[in-house]
Amino acid sequence: MSTIVKIDRLTKSYKDIDAVKDVSFTLEENKIYGMLGRNGAGKTTIMHLLTAQSFPTSGEIEVFGENPYENDRVLRRICFVKESQKYPNTFKVRDVLDVAGALFPNWDRSFALSLVEDFRLPLKRKVVKLSRGMLSAVGIIVGLASRAPLTIFDEPYLGLDAVARSLFYDRLLEDYAEHPRTIVLSTHLIDEVSRMLEHVILIDRGRLLLDEESEHLQGRAYTVVGSSDKIEAFGAGKRVLSREAMGGLTTITILSDSALEDRKQAQSLGLELAQVTLQQLIVHLTGNKNDRKEANVQ
Amino acid sequence: MTNNRLAGVIRLHSKDKLSWLLIPWIVVMASFVVNLVISQFLEEDLYTGGVASLYAYMLAIGVISLTNTYPFAIGMGVRRHDYFWGTAAAAAFASLYSAVVLTVLSYVEYDLTDGWGSGLHFFHVPYLSDGSPLVQVAVYFLLIVNLFFMGFMTTCVFKRFGILGLLGFAVVMLILGTVASFIMTKMEWWADLFDWFNAHKMLEIALLSVPVTLVFMLVSYALLRRSKA
Repeated sequence: MSTIVKIDRLTKSYKDIDAVKDVSFTLEENKIYGMLGRNGAGKTTIMHLLTAQSFPTSGEIEVFGENPYENDRVLRRICFVKESQKYPNTFKVRDVLDVAGALFPNWDRSFALSLVEDFRLPLKRKVVKLSRGMLSAVGIIVGLASRAPLTIFDEPYLGLDAVARSLFYDRLLEDYAEHPRTIVLSTHLIDEVSRMLEHVILIDRGRLLLDEESEHLQGRAYTVVGSSDKIEAFGAGKRVLSREAMGGLTTITILSDSALEDRKQAQSLGLELAQVTLQQLIVHLTGNKNDRKEANVQ
Repeated sequence: MTNNRLAGVIRLHSKDKLSWLLIPWIVVMASFVVNLVISQFLEEDLYTGGVASLYAYMLAIGVISLTNTYPFAIGMGVRRHDYFWGTAAAAAFASLYSAVVLTVLSYVEYDLTDGWGSGLHFFHVPYLSDGSPLVQVAVYFLLIVNLFFMGFMTTCVFKRFGILGLLGFAVVMLILGTVASFIMTKMEWWADLFDWFNAHKMLEIALLSVPVTLVFMLVSYALLRRSKA
């Protein structure tokens, strides 16, 4: 697999805050990434920087081996669909698709039109008159039909109902299977997409918190329930993400580097390990409960 | 694969023929009809500056088009470079179109119908419309393009430096204008200026707008290169 995105010590500062601070990661070809984190964590800023729509304060960005700024060889291979995308106010849905077709080299018109049917979009309606969900559908169609080697969806389905969202996941996976490309999904609905994500990048307060294969990550995280004294004994020396006590029972969530040995240890104590969903893990990692100055979880 | 994305930007603008080609003429024709009606009631010829609405509109579309299309184009991964030249091409086309229509109407008015049969001087403005049809097209075109980029540059200032930047820019322009006009008055240069205008043909003046337009374009481009989506 070849690396198509390389970000090195990327920082974006505004007057008094660092929206993004010292973030480094790479993206490999033909994988599905989840860019996760809370609102205002800096995800959208990173994606704007990645696509040269705004400018970094410091750090290096390489996409397809080159600096993306004003670089058509790079930009024509990226499609960035964002929740806040503005469209010309005279544009109809059809105009958006037409222009997207003129701009993206791999645009598949018939695929776009079949998606329009799937999402029941009125082609002749003005974009400014669309409901929030329909507006999101326009972005999704552009993102899918552009078949850009690097496709980024930033909160793509605001206002979409569950049916439309699962339609999006289905079409995305189908088309991804036929036309592999790198996909970055940024979303709050982690549970819904966690099956699809091959790799997770977690951003919190502008910093990189996690950069890991999702399978590996989920293998490392677990909860364990038991009597408080046993749990305390078990949790000692481990990285405890959360702790809840109720009566004599305590539940802890742990992120471990040695889950296999932990399992044996738990068995010897008569404790059972349970899986943690990706969403729970992210909530534990980015919740405000415990102050984590040390971002290095790996 | 050279530049089909510049073509894409032109395509983007071509989706809005209404704003570029139709509305300016709806505005002008509305003014024209009003003036035509008035001229029917007048004994003497009616000279009017109603055609100025066209120039004002092209200035306005220079201001509006950037806010309307830039975030979309950049969002679709278009280079600022291609956005700028694609927009310039669309503006040049729209300006040429309006210049030709103006010339035709000016010809009909002045040479064919003697003021639409009621002594109305609307499209054929003395001094401004001097010269052959070709000269007229050139003059109108250069003036419209100049106004478009004046508007475009103004929005670029806003896009790059925000509302405070735009206000600062306006204040600086106002001060420069005031100082210049004060000096002109103090040195009694106004009469000289009018003499100078009289001594030159409209075409020469229009040609002098070319370097000004180029400065507008250059400043716009430089600002755009550092503007966010």
